[in-house]
Amino acid sequence: MSQHPPSSQSRPRRIAHLDMDAFFASVELLRYPELRGMPVVVGGRSIHKPVEQPDGTRVFSRLRDYVGRGVVTTSTYEARALGVFSAMGTMKAAKLAPDAILLPADFEAYRHYSSLFKQAVVRIAPVIEDRGIDEIYIDLTEHPETDTRELATQIKKAVRDATQLTCSICVAENKLLAKLGSELDKPDGLTILTRADIPTRIWPLAVGKVNGIGPKSAAKLNALNILTVGDLARADKLLLREHFGQNYAEWLHAAAHGEDDRPISTGGQSKSISRETTFERDLHARQDREQLTPIFTQLCQRLSADLKRKGYLARTIGIKLRYTDFRRITRDLTLSTPTDDPVVIRKTAGECLRRVDLERKFRLLGVKASGLIKSEDWNKQEEIREQYQPDLFDENGGSGSL
Amino acid sequence: MKFSVSREALLRPLQLVAGVVEKRQTLPALANVLVVLEGEKLSLTGTDLEVEIIGRVTLENPGVDGEITVPAKKFLDICRSLPEGSIIEFLYQDQKVTVKSGRSRFTLSTLPASEFPAIELGDNDLSFSCEQAEIKRLIDRTSFAMAQQDVRYYLNGMLWELHQDSLRVVATDGHRLAMCTRPVNTSLSEELKQAILPRKGVIELARLLCEPEKPVEIIIGNSHVRAITESFVFTSKLVDGKFPDYERVLPRNGDKIMIGNREELRQAFTRTSILSNEKYRGVRFVLTEGLLTITANNPEQEEAEEQVVVDYAGSPIEVGFNVSYLQDVANVISSENLRITLADSNSSALIEEPDNSDSLYVVMPMRL
Repeated sequence: MSQHPPSSQSRPRRIAHLDMDAFFASVELLRYPELRGMPVVVGGRSIHKPVEQPDGTRVFSRLRDYVGRGVVTTSTYEARALGVFSAMGTMKAAKLAPDAILLPADFEAYRHYSSLFKQAVVRIAPVIEDRGIDEIYIDLTEHPETDTRELATQIKKAVRDATQLTCSICVAENKLLAKLGSELDKPDGLTILTRADIPTRIWPLAVGKVNGIGPKSAAKLNALNILTVGDLARADKLLLREHFGQNYAEWLHAAAHGEDDRPISTGGQSKSISRETTFERDLHARQDREQLTPIFTQLCQRLSADLKRKGYLARTIGIKLRYTDFRRITRDLTLSTPTDDPVVIRKTAGECLRRVDLERKFRLLGVKASGLIKSEDWNKQEEIREQYQPDLFDENGGSGSL
Repeated sequence: MKFSVSREALLRPLQLVAGVVEKRQTLPALANVLVVLEGEKLSLTGTDLEVEIIGRVTLENPGVDGEITVPAKKFLDICRSLPEGSIIEFLYQDQKVTVKSGRSRFTLSTLPASEFPAIELGDNDLSFSCEQAEIKRLIDRTSFAMAQQDVRYYLNGMLWELHQDSLRVVATDGHRLAMCTRPVNTSLSEELKQAILPRKGVIELARLLCEPEKPVEIIIGNSHVRAITESFVFTSKLVDGKFPDYERVLPRNGDKIMIGNREELRQAFTRTSILSNEKYRGVRFVLTEGLLTITANNPEQEEAEEQVVVDYAGSPIEVGFNVSYLQDVANVISSENLRITLADSNSSALIEEPDNSDSLYVVMPMRL
């Protein structure tokens, strides 16, 4: 992975976060322009595909027609106004907005538009970090156009020309602020955020809006009466340290003050995540089994936690051993379903271990996850896949019946 | 140690054995084949610690007994590239193996036989014998449905379920299931015994069973399964896990029964599959009196439609399937017709041969 370090210490960076507006729903509106201005929800199955009438008009499914266990993949702003958001159970959404239009998800179309908008951006500003199907970071620091607003306007126009879709962009000095800022003026927004704007524009936001403060941490912060980013910025560092540990407390404090020096990583997503440990003395797989087993299991648990924290699933699990003579060997196994489950990781790594020479002592053991895929992307795919092809042994599906 | 043998007599067992030897090995002896001579009985062993195969040859003339390991791939390549009908002389002396034939001469590196890992069988072993054809049929009828690298690791293999007078095997990847039962006297004292053979072991074993009428002895232990014939001994580790309750997913309430010509259906599946969605492989079955219409379409808006005249008198029904699963079943069934039993569009389908079938297949429908 090639990383672009913060270019120069003296000059602040210009990092943009670009987020497509209600992406899946907007792609659907391109196909069905007659739905513009109406609440539309993507998340149906192919039986909810619109039916074309002889006169050329289309009959759409309504949310109230939906029966099943699926969830809303995305909704238009009109549907959001009725309280329907992504990841909500579709049946529940139907109660809130029974008359909303229901459409099946078409990931091939979304991927097509995703690559169109990314290509359009790269033609103007080539240093981008791909964050998934509908968002990217762009490093504009070295861009010859020094008028940031003008540059962002150009990018928005290029995206619009390439896709007929709108996006929201925020340019700030780092990824954290840019990501927060792109939400501020949605849809079709353009926000330039400077340090001076932090108290007025960032501090009023709920802590959970910060990328890196998940629902659990947010709940914990709220319990400490820290509700907004401003509360967090003013919070006692010792109190934070007591509840969140030193590292995360430091990070929380820095984040609340809008500090973030992560570089733009143009290599796309992480390639692998690993955990390893060197023993105090060389160990033998069989003779030191009692000592080795918990170490091995813990490595797998930590790897699982790393994956979950970073939001990845791994298709390939591997192990690394360094023998007493420093010879290093690796083994891996590829799963058909990517995982972040500690039990599956332990089991798979155990399989790998069976394929190596365990008669010799070794000094280091490592477990590695590769073939990474963003869990959200997989879950979306998986949801769709399961809606199409149910499992025979699915607990909910019962005995071979849907 | 010394013996001579014809190229053809050596080649077949050597090929079988070299099949399990993996290219990347950390234990150096695992890249080798173990050669053991006792009187006129020559045996060749290869292993990857999961699966072990011993190929057996009876020599025409006894040699000098002994045991040694040599690099499997090189030994095989040498034997294979010698002219047909060659006589191969094998001599082990001073830590070196010399292979001679006519005017060709090769010296191979060796590792002592003591470094070659042996798989130990446990206690509580159960053994029975049957024709090789029985085991071969059980595997051939079902192995396509085994999962591949599923996180539910126990699906990456085949369930062998022993009853007193039959052997039943079940394979499933969670979306379809294949089951075959053959009458085999297992001399089982308990009511039932289950073992899961790993995928690789199943595939290797099927490759070995090529003398249908000759017997094979099967030994099932707690952690291993072994199959013994005149020409080989096959051993595989068992998968340590619990196979899901397959009985629970066998459809029982289907009342819509369709019988159609297998070959016509197979061809219709193959043709419609061309225009099905490459990822989901869905096709739509519309079954009306005497007629099955199969349609498929893909994201490019292309469409396929096939009509097959079938024997069907039930009420009209529409159901979606992954066409690959249907193709797999139509390919292993050999009878003239096949019977599909359905209950409704949401319940799994039962596919069988209409008469005296030892096999059955369950396919979960797709939502289309």
